[in-house]
Amino acid sequence: MTRFVESTITFPYKRSLGPVVGMFMTALTEQRILGIRNGTDVIVPPMEWDPATGAELAHDFVEVGPAGTVESWTWVPKPSAQHPLTHPFAFAFIRLDGATTPLLHAVDAGSASALSVGTRVAPRWKGTRIGHITDIDAFVLGETPEVAGPDHGPSETPVSMMEYQASITYNNPVPVAADRVVEASKAQRLLGQVCPVCARVYAGGRGYCPIDAVELGTEHEVDLPDKGTITNYALVTPVQYPGQTETEPFARVFVLLDGTDVILSYQPVIELAASDVHVGVRVAAVWASPAEDIDEGAAMGGAYGALIGWMPTGEPDHTDPDLVNRIF
Amino acid sequence: MSSIPCAIVGVGQTHHKSRRLDVSFGGLVREAVFRALDDAQMTFADIDAVVLGKAPDLFEGVMKPELYLSDALGAIGKPMFRVHTAGSVGGTTAIVAASHVQAGKHRTVLAVAFEKQSEGNAQFALGSGKGASLGAGGAFAPFIRSYIHRSGAPEHIGWKVAVKDRLNALKNPYAHLQIADISIEKVKASPMMWEPIRFLESCPSSDGACAMVLTDEAGGLAAAAAGRPPAWVLGASSRSEPPSFPGRDPVRPQAALMCAADVYKQAGITNPRQQIDMAELYVPFSWHEAIWLEAFGIAEEGDGWKMIDDGTTELGGGFPVNCSGGVLSTNPIGASGLLRFAEAANQVRGAAGEHQVEGANVALAMAYGANSQYFSTWAVGSSLTPYA
Ligand SMILES: [Zn+2]
Repeated sequence: MTRFVESTITFPYKRSLGPVVGMFMTALTEQRILGIRNGTDVIVPPMEWDPATGAELAHDFVEVGPAGTVESWTWVPKPSAQHPLTHPFAFAFIRLDGATTPLLHAVDAGSASALSVGTRVAPRWKGTRIGHITDIDAFVLGETPEVAGPDHGPSETPVSMMEYQASITYNNPVPVAADRVVEASKAQRLLGQVCPVCARVYAGGRGYCPIDAVELGTEHEVDLPDKGTITNYALVTPVQYPGQTETEPFARVFVLLDGTDVILSYQPVIELAASDVHVGVRVAAVWASPAEDIDEGAAMGGAYGALIGWMPTGEPDHTDPDLVNRIF
Repeated sequence: MSSIPCAIVGVGQTHHKSRRLDVSFGGLVREAVFRALDDAQMTFADIDAVVLGKAPDLFEGVMKPELYLSDALGAIGKPMFRVHTAGSVGGTTAIVAASHVQAGKHRTVLAVAFEKQSEGNAQFALGSGKGASLGAGGAFAPFIRSYIHRSGAPEHIGWKVAVKDRLNALKNPYAHLQIADISIEKVKASPMMWEPIRFLESCPSSDGACAMVLTDEAGGLAAAAAGRPPAWVLGASSRSEPPSFPGRDPVRPQAALMCAADVYKQAGITNPRQQIDMAELYVPFSWHEAIWLEAFGIAEEGDGWKMIDDGTTELGGGFPVNCSGGVLSTNPIGASGLLRFAEAANQVRGAAGEHQVEGANVALAMAYGANSQYFSTWAVGSSLTPYA
């Protein structure tokens, strides 16, 4: 059975809104909803261009609503963490009074039976508004806008930026070949695969030869030595981005395994300062102890499983002048 | 195999900056698009298809921006294509657009590429959203170390490229970096980022976009007759190779050699150094100029750095490279390749302004991406038969 490894990546993206959407967001903090004129149409939310032709629109804003009419809707019986409300609600196309296009938003209607095409709704504003479409908490039944809780007033400065906390969770299948190298690593074995066509050897559980496009299976497995020589390296000054795990300059090295043509790429080094990394250093694999947590997801390049890095053996450097050209 | 001749009749780009906070996504690409349409004396109504390129969606966190931007690009009811080839994507975008014209499928095609790096973080995106990202500099530093070792080039070569491209950028009003007091001393004194690459030997992170209008022979001839010389595509090619395998050489990637050979064959170029007047090469880190001069056959293997050392690749030299200031001065990643292709087109149109190479008739543009494994290249000429 295929094993899956879950991974989540998140990032706080920053959007510059531009002159038109910025105006719309600023108005939301003032409990006003703006559209933009496009000929006889009023587009809500406003756009910078005519959606049909791409023609630039003049900044001719029109206040619409605040109440409007439901044109179409769908009930959300089990909201997820990313939905705007925690209890069942509707997503609806709402044609605000004075607009010619519908706005998509949430309607807090209590039950699906309270909604029909033509239902009149009005915004329930959040008390704290930052210039985001969720400054409207949801629309509620009736003609009268509400404010949820104490009103903290409009933004003191025009809104020009929006933060967007993106998050996505993957369930990655671990290929059989990758699973086997992780298992072998727990027994302190470096497992490789030999291509039956070109005889190239691949480490890290690749599972195929990219030159011959052939699949590599258990019958192609071979044990690799766990000693080698640093051929080349990257010294990285870490940039502090959200999710960065490094604070100090760090090294990643390429290791040519003894007696083979196999390079393990982008390997961490242990007990070797970044400033002491150089071509020719003799190194041996360092394995996690059985008690330690290991990364069960095999990476293409980099350390994997119980292989946590490489440390100097203390032997004299190798001085082959061509070593530095062995990167892959 | 004959194909319909393809002419570039319009080129536009944004002013590039670290942060273009004054515009939305759509506003950014439209700034470049309207400049290209104005240059071609066209409107959206003249465009039959749109091709959009940018780096992976993780850069800005907008999935399928080509769909989000279709109305901003006037593409409603028209064919809309997205291209994905990592850093080379801007070049590939131009090639895909040219292919539609050359195949006779669409007469006039708008090629657009952009990046708004300020919305996210390049190191985050290049590290697949995980910690300990090597970044592009960390990934390429070992290749550069290998090049320096095998060529025996002195360390000042990298500094010279860094200065040359920033001096060229001072002649390009659209370029991001405008470092008036750039000097060898300043480059040498800048922090070491990814040994042997110093801060000022590295490209910036930019917000920006580039656009290009490509059309058929009749369209190109009409522009020429109206006093607006087009650039003609003489040869265009894309090649790729796997990211890693025992024996792979990232300093002379097989894909780069094949890409160059294919373009030269199409264009009838047998001696690139003599038959090409200037090149826009994708140089995000200074040493890549020497690396690509060799891989693209402009210099013999091991001799690329000598063209830098003796000033041949300076504006005014015998074979100017990156007269626009290049990627080292402006890097909205997805657009960086298209900027190379656009600058080459402008050179043979005589439209390169202050950084024009006098009498440029044939120009080469290339872009590369990912682990030096995707290559896109074209040669453009002031006529379809520059060697007749
Ligand atoms: Zn093979």
